[in-house]
Amino acid sequence: MIARIAYAFREMWASFRRNLTLTAAAILTSAIALLLVGTTLLIQRAFENLLVQWKGDVAMIVFVRSDATPEQIALIDESIRSAPTIINVDKLQYLDKTQTYEEAKRIFAGDPVTLSLLTPENIPSEFKVVPITQDPALVRSLSEQYRSLPGVEDVALAEDEFEVISTLSIFVRTVTLVMSLVLLVVAVGLIWNTIRTAMFARRREIEVMKLVGATNWFIRVPFMLEGLLQGLIGAVVSCGGLWALNSAWTNGVAGFKPGTGISSLVVPSGYLSGVMVVILLIGALAGAIGSAIAASRFLDV
Amino acid sequence: MIRLENVTKRYGSETVAVRDASFDVAKGDFVFLVGPSGSGKSTILRLINRQERPERGDVWVAGQNVNDLPDSRVPFLRRNMGNVFQDYKLLTGKTVFENIAFALEVIGKPRHVIARQVPIVLDLVGLAGKEDRFPNQLSGGEQQRVSIARAFVNRPLILLADEPTGNLDPATGEGIMSLLDEINQTGTTVVMATHDHRVVNAMRRRVIQLDRGVIVRDQERGVYE
Repeated sequence: MIARIAYAFREMWASFRRNLTLTAAAILTSAIALLLVGTTLLIQRAFENLLVQWKGDVAMIVFVRSDATPEQIALIDESIRSAPTIINVDKLQYLDKTQTYEEAKRIFAGDPVTLSLLTPENIPSEFKVVPITQDPALVRSLSEQYRSLPGVEDVALAEDEFEVISTLSIFVRTVTLVMSLVLLVVAVGLIWNTIRTAMFARRREIEVMKLVGATNWFIRVPFMLEGLLQGLIGAVVSCGGLWALNSAWTNGVAGFKPGTGISSLVVPSGYLSGVMVVILLIGALAGAIGSAIAASRFLDV
Repeated sequence: MIRLENVTKRYGSETVAVRDASFDVAKGDFVFLVGPSGSGKSTILRLINRQERPERGDVWVAGQNVNDLPDSRVPFLRRNMGNVFQDYKLLTGKTVFENIAFALEVIGKPRHVIARQVPIVLDLVGLAGKEDRFPNQLSGGEQQRVSIARAFVNRPLILLADEPTGNLDPATGEGIMSLLDEINQTGTTVVMATHDHRVVNAMRRRVIQLDRGVIVRDQERGVYE
C-alpha cells in the first residue's frame, strides 16, 4: 500500500515538472478564475453590510430618540399599527437599543469613527416597518406623519437609501459571477488539456502498464493528483491575491468620509478566511474534475 | 489453459481477421501460430489477452471466459500473462533494471520483492551485470531479452510472443528461441506468432497455420510449409 502511494506521488511530481509551461498556464487561469469567485463572495458580503437593516422587505425605519419615554414608544407603536391597510402589522419589528447597537456594528464596520460615537445607551432604538401596499407614495405620506410624533428622531425610507445600492449590488454580483463561472470552465478545460498532454507524452508507459496488468485506477491516480495539485496551487495563488486585494480595499475605504456608506463595504477577517477555504475546495475540485475526465477519456492510448 | 471456440473477429464491417477459429492449448504447451502478415496471428494473441473481444465465439483462459470478464478484472487476467513483441516495447528513459522492475511496481509489488526478483530473472535471460544500461546501449537481441525478462518476472502462466525474432538476425533469434524454450520448460505455456520458417522448423513444436483468418492446419511437432 505504501509502495503504491509513494509511486503515485512520485509519478505525479515527475509529470508535473515535465510539463511546466502548460502547467503554469493552467494554474494561472484557475488562480484568476478563483480570484473572481472570491471577489464575488466578498462584494456580496460587503454590500450586505449596507443592506442588512433593510432585510425582509423592510421599507421604512422609524428611529426613536434614545431618551424617549416608554409612553412615547408605546404611542409610536400604536400609531404604526393604526394603519393596517398600508402596513403589515404582523411583520412590524421593534429593535431595542442593544439590538440596534449590534446592527450598527455591521453597518459601520468600516467606519470606526462613527461607531465609536455610538454606545448602547445613546443609540436610537428602531421600528422596522414592512408595507402591504405596493404604492410607495402611501408609505412616504405615513413617514411624514410619524416624523412629527414625539420621541421620533428620524424616519428613513428604503426608497431613498436602499434601492440604488441594491440595484448596484445585484449588477456587480451578476457580472462577477458570470465572469468567474466562465473562467472556471476555462480553467477546468486547461487542466484537462494539460493532463491529456501528459498522458499522451507517456502513452508507451501506459501501454506497458496495461499489458502487465496495472489497474486503470493505478494508472489514473497520479494524473488525477497532478490535476488536483494544479487546481490547489491556483487556489493558493488566488488566496494570496484575494488577501492583498481585500487589504488594499479596506485601507482605501477607511479614508472615505464617514456616512457615505462606502466605508461600510468591508468584510470581517473571519469571513475572508471562510472564503479562502471555499476557494481552496473549489480549486481542488476543479482540478480533480478536469483531470478525472481526461484520465478516463484518454486511458485507451 | 487456453481455448478458442468458434471465434470470429472482424475489424470494421469488411476485414475478417479471424474466422470461426477453434483450438485448445494445454498447460505447458508450446504453440506456433504461423501464416503470412495479416492472416490473423496477432489478432489471436490480442483476443487471448483481451486487447480485443471476439464478435462471435468464446475465449477461455485458465478456466475463465475472457469475454464475460468485466473490464475491472482484465488487469488481473493480464497478470497471468507475459507479452513479448517484435519491437520490444521497452521504456527508453529507464534502465534495464527499471524496465523490469516497472512491471512489478505497477501491479503493486513491494520494493523488497522487486529487489529480489529482478536480479534472478536478469540472470535467467543472461543479462546479469547489464542492469544499469539503457535500452539504446544494448543490441537488439539483448533488448529482446530484457523484454522477455519483463514478461516473465511475475512468473506468468502464459507467455504470448508476437514475432519475437522478427527484428533479429538468425543467430540472435536462435538464442531468443532457446530462452523461450527454457521458460517453457518451467511449465509456462508459450504461444508464439511468427512467420520465421527457420525457428519453426528447428523447434518442431505444435504448429497452427492461419490463412486469411482461417485455421488451415493444426499439427503436433509440425514444420512451416
